Amino acid sequence: MASILGSETHRLKADVAVIGGGTAGLNTALAAAEAGADVLVVDKAHIQRSGAIAGGIDHFFAYLDTGPSWDTREAYLGWVSRVARGAANIKIHEKVYCDELTAAMERIEKMGVSLHQPDGTILRTQALGQPGPIAINFDGKLLKPKMAFAVKKKHIRVINRVQVSNIYLHNGEFAGFAGYDIRNGDFYEIQSKAVVISTGNTNRMFKSQTGNPFNLWYCPANTGDLHRAAFDAGVELANVEYIRLTIVPKGFSAPGFNAFFGMGGKFVNGLGQQFMQNYHPMGDKAPRNMMVWGALQEVRAGRGPIYVDVRHLSAKDLAHLFLQLGIDKDTLPEFLKAKGYDREGALIELTVSEPMQARPSELCGSGIKIDETCASNVPGLFAAGDASDQMGCLHMCMAGGYAAGKHAARYAAKVAHHAPLPEKALDDERARVFAPLLRKSGMAAGEFENIVRIVATDHFGPYKSEVSLTSAIAKLNGLDHFREDLKANNLHELMRCHEAMNIQSVAKIVAHAALARKESRFVPYHYRSDYPETNEDCCGLVVVRKDGETGVATRFERLHYDA
Amino acid sequence: MTAVIDKGKCNGCELCALYCPLDVIHMEDGIAVIRYPDECWHCGACRQDCAHDAITFQFAPAMLGI
Ligand SMILES: Cc1cc2nc3c(=O)[nH]c(=O)nc-3n(C[C@H](O)[C@H](O)[C@H](O)COP(=O)(O)OP(=O)(O)OC[C@H]3O[C@@H](n4cnc5c(N)ncnc54)[C@H](O)[C@@H]3O)c2cc1C
Repeated sequence: MASILGSETHRLKADVAVIGGGTAGLNTALAAAEAGADVLVVDKAHIQRSGAIAGGIDHFFAYLDTGPSWDTREAYLGWVSRVARGAANIKIHEKVYCDELTAAMERIEKMGVSLHQPDGTILRTQALGQPGPIAINFDGKLLKPKMAFAVKKKHIRVINRVQVSNIYLHNGEFAGFAGYDIRNGDFYEIQSKAVVISTGNTNRMFKSQTGNPFNLWYCPANTGDLHRAAFDAGVELANVEYIRLTIVPKGFSAPGFNAFFGMGGKFVNGLGQQFMQNYHPMGDKAPRNMMVWGALQEVRAGRGPIYVDVRHLSAKDLAHLFLQLGIDKDTLPEFLKAKGYDREGALIELTVSEPMQARPSELCGSGIKIDETCASNVPGLFAAGDASDQMGCLHMCMAGGYAAGKHAARYAAKVAHHAPLPEKALDDERARVFAPLLRKSGMAAGEFENIVRIVATDHFGPYKSEVSLTSAIAKLNGLDHFREDLKANNLHELMRCHEAMNIQSVAKIVAHAALARKESRFVPYHYRSDYPETNEDCCGLVVVRKDGETGVATRFERLHYDA
Repeated sequence: MTAVIDKGKCNGCELCALYCPLDVIHMEDGIAVIRYPDECWHCGACRQDCAHDAITFQFAPAMLGI
């Protein structure tokens, strides 16, 4: 059937489909293909350079069993228990990360990216509450293209520039999904026996430091499209109440935090004082949320701005730092130079980044709730990477992405026939997807998105209370009627329209989940001014699910830790 | 302001337009053009893939000035 634009509709089949060919998704695709499945990867960008590590990456967290007690599986899991307490499920971490770690590191090397320094040594640094120096510094600038090459070598089918817009079940089990090509308008209807969703977290939901919603730490192309679609299809989400922030260079929301403090930079306030000891015993090597919390308190007390002081570093360490910063974010060193920070004696001004819908710790995720086999509550639907409630960061996306692929392939092998797609729903979806292109006039996506951003920032970005959250939900619901007015002049703007609507929908889910967590945890990521203390009774997951009557149903799932 | 393409150096290979993760770069008359400069993430992927050094970065006044 012809699509609304007069372009083609494609109907494709696969054993395992991967939605989102980023860090996790490409590992998923490799695993499923190696297990013998017919695999199809669909990405809204191009897998060569899509997602979080498009421009490079520089740290891989791993224990290497070299002897010291901090360098073991037990110490790693202890770290997870400490810094992700109440969000990370240790049993899942053992399966999707620990059991897969050695193979993941071998895979990286096999792809042609070395975790070693040019002289053959492994360089490791410590930050973020780690038990010891377990962050391997490496040159991952080409990791994404090399992963894409590995996928190509396996002859895995890939469809680039297709934004997946909805997913469908049949008798409660996964059946398939729809999407459209943002470059030519073709419509896709895809059936698969299993699917792995790996579309990252939700960005552009909160105001950014310069006012430009694309000047962000995380990838602005990840807009919660599949959090929304999965939720609407009845998939459970968890850890979505948390609002993640970090410390970034003033003016440019880029990573660097791990390198600055891992290399021994000192976090100082406007009076030149180191302050982190007042907030956490690990000082400048405290978990990320505590660094953000400390910075917010200093600024609020009038002791801003905040800086990283690197004046005591040797010339060699300083050179390594600038090199490392450019590996993680290609354009950051020249930005720092343009600011004059390469001058001797310069302090580098930092700030608290934009908030984002994402995991409360490096060591868990935020999104589709998974079990030890990366499966969601919907048979056939799996999740991996930042889009899942348990995985995050490079180490888990590489290791856990692969685990998800194995399990999805195993599941698909047991399914005899593809489930049918709902024809009427697909026709409706085609009309819904292209509607903004057909309107003669209306609201631009950016304007709509901006209102969502203001509401989210004012009401839960990051501080929140029952009153702020309830009124946020009312305001976000009040924006619904504008969705019918959204106007796109071309396919690129059409993608932005759908992203804006998805950001709004996820914002509502986030606010509902935050209402259910009546305590504070990972402050300031979940700081309820009406429940400012952490409550051990709340040590576990707030699980959200679509509910016909109220919109969102929540339940609590306790998590247990040895220590 | 954002990634900037030197029209004189661009040979129209299309790699940057093909790969840009934000769909910011498009081909116009055989030359790569930053069609949506405000949506650039500054990831630098385009510059890394350009074999002709045609891409540089300019930071917006709001980035340098605050
Ligand atoms: C700049 C930067 C530096 C970082 N540095 C480090 C580091 O040094 N060490 C570390 O451990 N972690 C680091 N992280 C975190 C780490 O990179 C991420 O956790 C990880 O790469 C996420 O992988 P992912 O597969 O979940 O998401 P991504 O790699 O972002 O992939 C998501 C994919 O989904 C696609 N997509 C989104 N929506 C749709 C849709 N509707 N339809 C189809 N496709 C869609 C996107 O195009 C993208 O390809 C960094 C993150 C950033 C942003």
